[in-house]
Amino acid sequence: MFLRIVSDSFTRKPRRKVLTAAALALGMAVATATLEVALDVGDRLAREFRSLGANLLVTPASDTLPLEIGGVDYRPVDAGAYLSAGDLGKLKTIFWRNNIMGFAPFLDVPVAIASSGSQEISDAELIGTWYSHSVPVPDGSAFTTGVSATDPWWHVDGRWFSDTSEEGVAGAALAQRLNLRAGNKVKIDAGGHSHTLTITGIVSTGGREDNSVLAPLAIAQDLAGRPGQYRRLLVSALTKPADAFSERDPATMTAVEYDRWYCSPYISSISHQIQQQLPGVEVRAIRQVAEGEGRILTRVSGLMWIVTIAALFAAALAVGATSATTVLERRSEIGLMKALGASRRAVGAFFVAEQLFLAMVGGVLGYALGFVLARALGIGIFGVAPALRWILLPIVLVLAAVVALLGSLLPLGRASRVDPAPVLRGE
Amino acid sequence: MARRSMFLRILWKLLGASRGRLTVALIALTSGAAVCSALLNVNLDAERKLTQEFRTLGANIVIAPPTGSSEAALADAGVLDRIAALRIPQIVATAPYLYVAANSGSQPVILAGTWFDQVAKMNSWWKLEGGWVSSRDDHEHCLVGFTAARQLGLAPGSSVHLRSGDHNISLTVAGIVTTGGAEDNQILTNLDSAQALAGLSGRVGLVQISVSGTPAEIERVTRTLADNLPGLEVRPVRQIAAAEGTILGRIRGLIFWTIALILVLSLLGVLASMAALAMERRRDVGLMKALGGTVPRIMRLFLAEAGTLGAVGGMLGFLIGVVLARWIGEGIFGVVISARFEVLPITIALTVGVALAGAFPLRLLGRVRPADILRGE
Repeated sequence: MFLRIVSDSFTRKPRRKVLTAAALALGMAVATATLEVALDVGDRLAREFRSLGANLLVTPASDTLPLEIGGVDYRPVDAGAYLSAGDLGKLKTIFWRNNIMGFAPFLDVPVAIASSGSQEISDAELIGTWYSHSVPVPDGSAFTTGVSATDPWWHVDGRWFSDTSEEGVAGAALAQRLNLRAGNKVKIDAGGHSHTLTITGIVSTGGREDNSVLAPLAIAQDLAGRPGQYRRLLVSALTKPADAFSERDPATMTAVEYDRWYCSPYISSISHQIQQQLPGVEVRAIRQVAEGEGRILTRVSGLMWIVTIAALFAAALAVGATSATTVLERRSEIGLMKALGASRRAVGAFFVAEQLFLAMVGGVLGYALGFVLARALGIGIFGVAPALRWILLPIVLVLAAVVALLGSLLPLGRASRVDPAPVLRGE
Repeated sequence: MARRSMFLRILWKLLGASRGRLTVALIALTSGAAVCSALLNVNLDAERKLTQEFRTLGANIVIAPPTGSSEAALADAGVLDRIAALRIPQIVATAPYLYVAANSGSQPVILAGTWFDQVAKMNSWWKLEGGWVSSRDDHEHCLVGFTAARQLGLAPGSSVHLRSGDHNISLTVAGIVTTGGAEDNQILTNLDSAQALAGLSGRVGLVQISVSGTPAEIERVTRTLADNLPGLEVRPVRQIAAAEGTILGRIRGLIFWTIALILVLSLLGVLASMAALAMERRRDVGLMKALGGTVPRIMRLFLAEAGTLGAVGGMLGFLIGVVLARWIGEGIFGVVISARFEVLPITIALTVGVALAGAFPLRLLGRVRPADILRGE
């Protein structure tokens, strides 16, 4: 009997129910969309922060003290330790290998440079690195990386060198000094070796590279007489903002804590994993980038959650208002039911069942609509659609039920206390 | 005159009669207005605060002698005083640097001389173990970079003797800094001490400047400095600027769309209440029409009602929003967000707009036929 009354109420006057369901759907769509975007925003912004460049610096553990002024190391070439470039594929085998967005090794060589066609020889620096180099990974695949990942704000007029050719890119200040343009050839001499490079572009970085020539690592290795070696490595990793837990010394952690730390992409745990994989290295966070990113991300995440809660609250209010007004309409129905002998409990149960059903329908519709809305928002703001999260469906359904019930509870309470007679009379 | 007072009297009665319905609509409007006003307040201040955070990521302008010039140093009394004389308000900090190649025993090390009070403002990511060097006149203390301290076997309190050419200097280590940058390999001290050790008194190697503001303002400051410091290279540091622009843009987009969505939801709440109200009012409208009320006059009454509701909701919402914004500001950004009164007219305008749009169901009452209503349908 109960079920018959409930199902009848849906077939008899569907218009008002449709309105409630539509309001529920819209409200839940907004709730779903904001939740999806909020869950995604941390990851999206972290990726944006990778445009700040590398956040990890890898150097030989047994190195002597670098003598750096303005980024230029004045140590004699023989001093200090070097690392083997053949090991670099192992970077893509650590636990957080998918968070290693890119890396680039560097080898600096002081050289004598002369523009072809000119007799004038100048002293300059050649920085050997990769632009877009394919690194073989022990599991059989290959990973293409280079300074495009670690220094994305470097701007080249022309094109970058190809890692397998005798090409190079000249820094803006050096190019101006030696009157170089893309297409010119330069002769590079160092330690008895000589190379003739074609300048494929002029780079301006705002740093010491403006006074140097950037060339493939292999050429620098040959000029320095250090085949297969590099001096320092920049790594760009996608990390989670650091907190008090991540700053602790892993040696002081219990097994459970260590697992939690290891399995979170903190910059400290990623550094630790790199140190385990590459022999003889010291890994340091480039705090300027890592700290700043961490602080700003934490603030923005906080703001996003507030915004999400605000949207959820507004959705709840809208749905509640709609529920409230539709229940207020049904006073005559309630009066009739009471006059026919229904107890307050039965009337209440009937309405609750109705609202719950509406909430389910509205919730599912809202989730589907919300997914579409989230895609539009994600693409509009970040250029990338957020991933579909099925866990949100039960959450949204529960939210819809709670809100629909709360919204109808107050007017329901008031309406069920109403005297049936005046209501039946038409007042 | 009589017409106006009649209008107002009916309006007042309308507002009082359907108190229940209108309260729901008012709540929807007020909460929408509160959230929007809070977000607008926070957004304007949040952007400023986030820009400030980006400023603590280091200098964004570097002034140095032209590259390739053999003259490795420039006069400091000239440059730093000239920069200060320009009185550019956006400059947050100005830090000169002079680098000296020195020896500690047989170990070569770079000594960097600077002004620590300025450095503290620019480089928030430096991690310090021990004490800072407090004043510019402190010629006895130094900070040592983490790697340099390890190589030279230094700790807070130990003393280090540095030799460069004919000059000697003895310093006590006040603290160890970990910066993740070149400073980790250096010993840092006050500019005067470095100048004395190098025998280059009155000179600096480069000047780092931290400027706050939008990319356009930073561009302008760079040009002002370049124009006023001929013979020197004024270079923007591009690394931070690019990322900053993108990220702030994204955040702005997020907040804008959330406000739009919340307004849509407020509209929904108001629509629902007004639709119910319209049902209730059919008889009143039928009666008004039978008594000679024209449709435009009736519509004007309803619109005035919605407008009043919107204005009241907007004002209440703004006040609540200010409290919310303050709470958000302290909770997330640790800064007191002051109420911005330019948000008030925006909030009221938006809320009134939503209220008028939501009053749409009432316009359908214009088509009511008095005869049907009076008959009791």
